[in-house]
Amino acid sequence: MEKKYGVYLCKGCGIADAVDFESLTKIIKKECKIQHIKEADIMCSPEGRAMILEDMKPEGEGINAIVIAACSPRVKYEELDFPNAIVERCNIRELVAWTQEPKVEATQLLAEDYLRMYCAKAKKDELPEPYQTECDKTILVIGGGTAGLSAALEAANDGYAVVLVEKEAQLGGFAAKMYRQTPTSYPYTTLQEPVVFKKIQEVQNHPKIKVMTSATLEKLDGQPGLLDADIKVGGDVETLRVGTVVMAAGWKPYDATKLTKLGYGLSKDIITSIEMEEMAKAGKIVRPSDGKAPQSVAFIQCAGSRDPDHLPYCSSFCCMASLKQAVYVREQHPNATAMILYKDIRTPGLTELFYKQVQSDAGVMLTKAEIAEVSLGNGGNILINATDTLLGENVIFEADLVVLAVGIVPLTADESVLNLGYKQGPALPDLDLYHGFADSNFICFPYETRRTGIYAAGCVHQPMDMAMAVEDGIGAACKAIQAAEHVAAGMAVHPRAWDETFPDPFMQRCTSCKRCTEECPFGAIEEDEKGTPFYKINRCRRCGTCMGACPERIVSFKDFNVDLIGSMIKSVDVPDLEDEDDPAAPFRIIGLVCENDAYPALDAAGLHKLRLNPYVRFIPLRCLGSFNMVWITDALSKGVDGIILFGCKSGDDYQCHFAKGSELCEYRLSKLSETLDKLGLESDRVLQYPIAHSDFDRLPKILDDFVTRVREIGPNPFKEF
Amino acid sequence: MAGEKIIKPDLQFVKRVMAAGGDTVKKCYQCDTCSVVCNLTPDEKPFPRKEMLQAQWGLTEVLQDPDIWLCHQCSDCTVYCPRGAKPGEVLGVLRQMCIEKYATPPVLAKSVGDPRFLPLLIAFPMLLLFLALKATGHWNIPEGPIVFSHFFPTLLVDFIFVPIFFFAVAVLAKGVMAFWQDINATNPWKVKVEGNLVGNLVTTLKDILMHNRFRECEVTYNRSTNHLFLVFGFVFLLIVTTWGFLNEWVLHHESPYPIYEPIKLLAIAGTASLLYGIYNILKERQANAEKAGYGSYFDWFLIYVIFTVGATGLGAWLFRLVGIRILAYPTYFLHLTAIFMLFFYAPYTKLAHIVYRTVAMLQARMSGRGF
Repeated sequence: MEKKYGVYLCKGCGIADAVDFESLTKIIKKECKIQHIKEADIMCSPEGRAMILEDMKPEGEGINAIVIAACSPRVKYEELDFPNAIVERCNIRELVAWTQEPKVEATQLLAEDYLRMYCAKAKKDELPEPYQTECDKTILVIGGGTAGLSAALEAANDGYAVVLVEKEAQLGGFAAKMYRQTPTSYPYTTLQEPVVFKKIQEVQNHPKIKVMTSATLEKLDGQPGLLDADIKVGGDVETLRVGTVVMAAGWKPYDATKLTKLGYGLSKDIITSIEMEEMAKAGKIVRPSDGKAPQSVAFIQCAGSRDPDHLPYCSSFCCMASLKQAVYVREQHPNATAMILYKDIRTPGLTELFYKQVQSDAGVMLTKAEIAEVSLGNGGNILINATDTLLGENVIFEADLVVLAVGIVPLTADESVLNLGYKQGPALPDLDLYHGFADSNFICFPYETRRTGIYAAGCVHQPMDMAMAVEDGIGAACKAIQAAEHVAAGMAVHPRAWDETFPDPFMQRCTSCKRCTEECPFGAIEEDEKGTPFYKINRCRRCGTCMGACPERIVSFKDFNVDLIGSMIKSVDVPDLEDEDDPAAPFRIIGLVCENDAYPALDAAGLHKLRLNPYVRFIPLRCLGSFNMVWITDALSKGVDGIILFGCKSGDDYQCHFAKGSELCEYRLSKLSETLDKLGLESDRVLQYPIAHSDFDRLPKILDDFVTRVREIGPNPFKEF
Repeated sequence: MAGEKIIKPDLQFVKRVMAAGGDTVKKCYQCDTCSVVCNLTPDEKPFPRKEMLQAQWGLTEVLQDPDIWLCHQCSDCTVYCPRGAKPGEVLGVLRQMCIEKYATPPVLAKSVGDPRFLPLLIAFPMLLLFLALKATGHWNIPEGPIVFSHFFPTLLVDFIFVPIFFFAVAVLAKGVMAFWQDINATNPWKVKVEGNLVGNLVTTLKDILMHNRFRECEVTYNRSTNHLFLVFGFVFLLIVTTWGFLNEWVLHHESPYPIYEPIKLLAIAGTASLLYGIYNILKERQANAEKAGYGSYFDWFLIYVIFTVGATGLGAWLFRLVGIRILAYPTYFLHLTAIFMLFFYAPYTKLAHIVYRTVAMLQARMSGRGF
């Protein structure tokens, strides 16, 4: 495609009041060598858009590479979207007009640099062609419990074929083994039949759902849209082609034998909540030791949960379960009492009403208590020594049946479940961050896992009750559908769901160093027999971590590559310093900023009209994981005095949208600073700083401090060369 | 580490509390708002939070807790309770159960708190008075000017009422002694034995008579005034009764007295004060029912008995003045019935609070709990 460039300057939103358009036009014509330049009062207006569309007509100007110098690319997306053309949005509103002093030289120079950078980018850009292969959109649901059934029904009702794999002989999971379920609708006061049975029936009768019971997933390989699932039923293994996956493998109760402190094993009359439920389902609640009706039943909450020695998390539903089982006891034995000994009662949402209902029963006694010891009393009764009770004293509760409300352990804590045939291993990585749950940053990425196209739901995802598991299953199914559709359309999935580009390595220069296969946060890169890496594109999220990792710099995207960002850096005009001690000496700083949080923070600073340092030029990166060290060389050799990198928080509670990006960038910079120091270039010139979207108000000070520090170090010694 | 106290909830106790008017007890979730808003509670181990918990758990020892008597049922707690657990009402029920626990025989106390026994409780004194009249041949309406002693001889009145007065005093004394022993045995604020019992009792009684504690109530402040009228009504009428007794047996000055006599004037003032007090208590309770609680049957039993005593006394006097014999004598009969109920049932009704609360306040005072 022969590119015909056009630059469109918007005067609206105060831009024309801050910047001189005449000299801007001169720079574009003279330095960027683009002659087609037009202005509009409001570029996003129908007139502005019509003007550009007119210029794009092949019979007219035939403009197909457009630089729009206006507002941030994060706004007016639809108004300024022009299909089948390269569109670059040069942000001179938020980053210049709204954050700089109007009509001064430094502001003008900043606007000019932004135009140089984006014209340089437009010249390197290529129009992406989506990666499309034949694609299967079948949804594989692992686990036939509440979450899995809900996911299967949602996907099937939306018209997708579903394969539901359940390892047990019956569908329903734990929900089907319950005697009663806690209420899920107003007035939240009466127990109900488990709703799961209705779902089981619906699933079994659904023409779009293939149910496989007593079945296990032996292996899952390939890539989204082209996944091969080896499913073992009995002795036979069947391989099915599926598109994406909902993992609702569920949970298992915490091993009560580890709870000797709470008396498990001390007496037959100390049982788990699971055993209590089974007993209720079987019909009669009795003391297992002598088969007599209990007179006083104690429920010990948080048995294993919220305990640093066992499970550090709250298992979410045990409070509800014990309240429910207290009702069982009271219904069957009207003269018996039920004591619930808790750390805190947690009944989320409107289930509070159920708590109130149970609490109002004369025979249900609730108290906060820390259990110090459980021992046997005379006559087989069980004595529970407790401290920190509501009574304010240490007391002994006497009971003849004790129920330990055991916590939950996600299946993924001990087994891979997915049995992936991926180079990076069969399981989801780094789940120890979430105590074994297949969780992720839950605010930004519910259901996400670090294996593209695989979404977690239900208690394998987070501890949750059945009402929430239903929602979770539906949510994960929607994500799985979305992923299947995106893969089929050749687009990335969240968080770059619009992106049609994909990594396209220049393999002749690959040295098989395998850094990319190891660093890819999503395990998208495999190796052939010779150890040469190759992509499974549908697994890729387009973060560019491989591009940052590659020492040979062979990975590129059509609109994002090492050369392209390098060209932007090199296009910046670096003036000579006449007096380096002058506080207004035009130092030049490059800011490489993560598009996901740091760039929005810059926009927010603009929205709040905060004054940003005029010597910094920002270049957005897909993720700091795509940061390639050669850009530092590019910048320093150009005479730039300092480089600041803004990314998300790294570490165990990382905020990186691609999990590992900012962490990898830190690692690379640590290597770089050694080199810089060796070269006699102060490593302080390069700084990585974590910025969240909400940190926008701190930006002015962070930038000023950095520029001050660079001034202290002095100008880049390479400036003269 | 863990203590020695063994907790085993008593379901029947909780049910009893709930049935007797403390049906909200289980709603309490121990936020402690009640103890914070209460102006009467001591700072150390404040009530009513802990009593709510004990009641909720079915710990019967709560009945030996003197703090339930330090409560004057201002209902500030009930008004501010975020969960509608009505601590004021629950403590009222606990006091009822405390009276029941220390009364002899307890069955009488149980029946006083149970509306099903009301006809029986009314029928008993009526029958007794009727039989007394019948046996002495006075079961008729006498001719001539209305003189109540012609209908019901004074000797007969004294013969019946003096014993029941002392019966009530004896039962109360027995109960209160046991209560005093219990509260000093189990509670952690052991009474300083060297303390001056009489001196402290006098101060406590002065406190009670002046309603100093009662006046700290906020939401139902008026109750203290109404109760003050009622108490002074009783005090006046007690003086009148004693005076009349002296007139009859020592000075041989027969009733009815003319209206200008000091004893009559005091009687009128006492009756007016009593009626004013009880009427306003009744009205106030109904007006505040929604926010402060309506009170239990046990409460209302006493209110109506006192009201009847006052009303029939006034009625009998007025009918006598206007000379309607056919109304004056039966009203007087009802008056005697009501008085019988007031005195004979005193150890079992809320009236017993006179001694239990006094003792609890004395104990609180002597153990340095700020009373």
